[in-house]
Amino acid sequence: MNLTVSRLSRRQVLALGAVGAAGAAGAGTGVFFLLPKHGAAGPPLSAAGSDGAWPSPLGSARGLAAHLLRRAGFGYTDAELEAAAAMRYSDLVESVTAQQPEDLPAVASPAGYRDVIVAWQRHMATTASQYPDRVAVFWHGVLTSDFRSAAQQPVVLQQLQTFRLLGRSDLRGLLRAITYDPLMIRYLDLQQSSAAEPNENYARELMELFTLGPGSYTETDVREGARIFSGIRAVLVDPSGTPARLPSPQGLSAQQRVTQIVQLIAQGYSYKGMLVPRLHDSGSKTYLKHTGNIDPEQAIDILLAQDACAAHITRRALVHFCTPSPSASLIASVAGQFRRSRYDITTLMRAIFTSEDFTAATQYRSLVRAPVDYTVAAMRALNRPQLAAAAASAGTAMGQLLYDPPNVGGWPANGAWIASSTWLARLNFAAQATARPLGLPSPSTAQHSQLDGVVGADTRAVYRAAATDADRWYAVLSSPEFQLK
Amino acid sequence: MITRRDFMVSGLTATAAGIVVPPVLAKGVYAATADGIHNDRVLVVLQLAGGNDGLNTVIPYADPVYMAARPTIGVAPDTVVPLSSTVGLNPALKNLKSMYDSGQVAIVQGVGYDNPTYSHFEGMYVWQHADPARRQTDGWLGSLLASELDTHGHPLTGCALGETTVPPEMSAPQATVSVISSGQMYDVAGSAQHRSAAPALYARTPGIYGVLFDSALSTAETGIAAVKQSASTYKPAVAYPTGMRTAGDTAANTLATSLQLTASMITTQPSVKVCHVVLGGFDTHQNETTRQDALLASVDAALGAFMQDIAAHGMAGRVVVMTWSEFGRRIGENGSKGTDHGAAAPVFIVGAPLHGGLYGEPPSLTSTIDNGNLRYTVDFRSVYQTVIRDWLQGDSTSVLGASFPELPLF
Repeated sequence: MNLTVSRLSRRQVLALGAVGAAGAAGAGTGVFFLLPKHGAAGPPLSAAGSDGAWPSPLGSARGLAAHLLRRAGFGYTDAELEAAAAMRYSDLVESVTAQQPEDLPAVASPAGYRDVIVAWQRHMATTASQYPDRVAVFWHGVLTSDFRSAAQQPVVLQQLQTFRLLGRSDLRGLLRAITYDPLMIRYLDLQQSSAAEPNENYARELMELFTLGPGSYTETDVREGARIFSGIRAVLVDPSGTPARLPSPQGLSAQQRVTQIVQLIAQGYSYKGMLVPRLHDSGSKTYLKHTGNIDPEQAIDILLAQDACAAHITRRALVHFCTPSPSASLIASVAGQFRRSRYDITTLMRAIFTSEDFTAATQYRSLVRAPVDYTVAAMRALNRPQLAAAAASAGTAMGQLLYDPPNVGGWPANGAWIASSTWLARLNFAAQATARPLGLPSPSTAQHSQLDGVVGADTRAVYRAAATDADRWYAVLSSPEFQLK
Repeated sequence: MITRRDFMVSGLTATAAGIVVPPVLAKGVYAATADGIHNDRVLVVLQLAGGNDGLNTVIPYADPVYMAARPTIGVAPDTVVPLSSTVGLNPALKNLKSMYDSGQVAIVQGVGYDNPTYSHFEGMYVWQHADPARRQTDGWLGSLLASELDTHGHPLTGCALGETTVPPEMSAPQATVSVISSGQMYDVAGSAQHRSAAPALYARTPGIYGVLFDSALSTAETGIAAVKQSASTYKPAVAYPTGMRTAGDTAANTLATSLQLTASMITTQPSVKVCHVVLGGFDTHQNETTRQDALLASVDAALGAFMQDIAAHGMAGRVVVMTWSEFGRRIGENGSKGTDHGAAAPVFIVGAPLHGGLYGEPPSLTSTIDNGNLRYTVDFRSVYQTVIRDWLQGDSTSVLGASFPELPLF
């Protein structure tokens, strides 16, 4: 078999794959360069690349710390990695999952959602406490909303604060908060749902996408759920929490009305989700085999009591944080711990980060960094948070502008990010990020810290051929190694 | 040195070792050889995202139930552009009307499927995967590309234009698809060093995503060269509209931009076979008339320019455009001068090669399903099968899993 033929049809490749695996074993030996730091011996490798997989450094404290920082946060500087690598792994997991969110910087125009996104990504690139924002990105991808529903009202910021502040607490509290979240109320049409005309949108997605997954409920449950969640409204309240009486909108243009509301928000007014009794259906409903005058809080309790709920959320979390294809036994084990803890999210995340699957050699670089992970990791590695606006623009071309998900299913994961155009956008962001050489940190340790010293022959060759620090950083940030976590 | 194929092979070994990422591993490597001429029969799929209101697009103007159900948003019968004594077009569709008159527009009425879903997400999934049960994971165009049209994996055979990610209907493990968001942005930015570094970094990437990474970059390399060549040789024969309705409109006609990019690729790249473009915004729950009129005018202007451009390049006999939307809308208007999610709707198929006219029965406004929704008269897979077999000359059974009655469009 002539292995030097480099261009084959996919059919040929697949046919060869079926019969030629044994013959090619060993062909990869010598491709990886484990780069020692300052002449010291590198970490031990579990495999020398002979099976075409990345050799795993997860057997070393440093490799495991970097693995956790990439997944429980976004990225790190050399100093942050050194500090994490000096801790016992179990202590590191406790320390990371105990992080409290730091305040977001003031947003110039909270109604301009783009300003909110740029401020948030800049914060991700600077905060010492990345985990709450990482978890907030996860929940934004599961309990998703779209900025367009905000209609220029400052409710995107409000929802992401909910995810940042409650995303690490318990699922019950989070589901209650999101059910009354002003952006969600608009996004899934609760604002139009009343006893007289119940709207099924939220009731359906709450079961299908947010808690149970398809197949665990009936169309009757959807219709009854619409009655249960009828009458929820996002209401403008004054600083004391009392619904505000606005001057009549007569004579005001849509833009003038937005301006008026922005001024009121600056004075301490806010939107608040509440159940309006005269719009709510208070009759008897039968929901997931429970009958009575079920209210939204009781419905959430009923959902949490379903076996499918813990498994559904756990599966989403595993795909985001641990493995692209979690096994049934892993889901069952983690979901069991999650449910026994009464849906404590810290318990869920601790169970994931300390599972054997998380630290297994097969999970090294098994996840693709989402665009927001990639741009924030690059900003942190370069210590250039000022790239946040460029990162938001580039994110669109990479397929991810936060609060603009493709649909109510939220963000895709892993292989779905990879396409010709999205990869060019990643490379071009790396070029943009390194374009101004003044003030770039030295790239001399980047292969060791950012890429764990586990570097393929191509990346190594391009790095060595680079003539300037900017080009060396381009090689690191554009490399396949840096796209993975 | 290790080759890509070695990694493909060892990637499969890694699967056995426990990590299962099927779309990644099954993805093959592009073969530059054996590039056939594909642009003799090109299909452009135009997605109208959000659920276009079929009843205000192809209007049953003679049926009194129509205006009774839509007292504020119904299109007044005297402004409808008649196609027959019973149905007519929305007046925004001027170019489509003139193409219809010259026999280049087929309108299939009442297209849908059994037990329709009223969710955007599920509705799109059904159409994208040609499967009302929503069990298929490969998109119907992706499946068609991999099994019928593009067995050598040329990156330009399937193109998504004006988009950033692979549209689900083109997504299949073995389908290579070029996603070109814009001609200007589809390039490696930066210095000569960047230009040489980018492909060098992605020549033989290890790991479960290696082949997918490398094939994204090799697809991009081929595409970049093609886009550059197109840019230097393609001259639009008509002025594409810039605004949604008029040149001065501040809202850009993004569909026209996507279709001009499509024309530049089709007319200069013999490998192009299936193109996908999309226009969103059709989810008209409120103040529908203003919004839908602008959208339809924008589709009409963009499509009119595109078909003229294609014809001026001597390719009128080689290009067919098909529209789809995840659902039509409710018969009765709602309390917000809009319409809610509905069911059956018309599909437009446009091009010189087809026999124009009205196909399928218009759905009844009185014999309805699910509290006021249209009962479909033509299964959407009949349209797919007709296009696959009679236009693209492929085998539809492997893609659709069954056979459906064909329409005499070609």
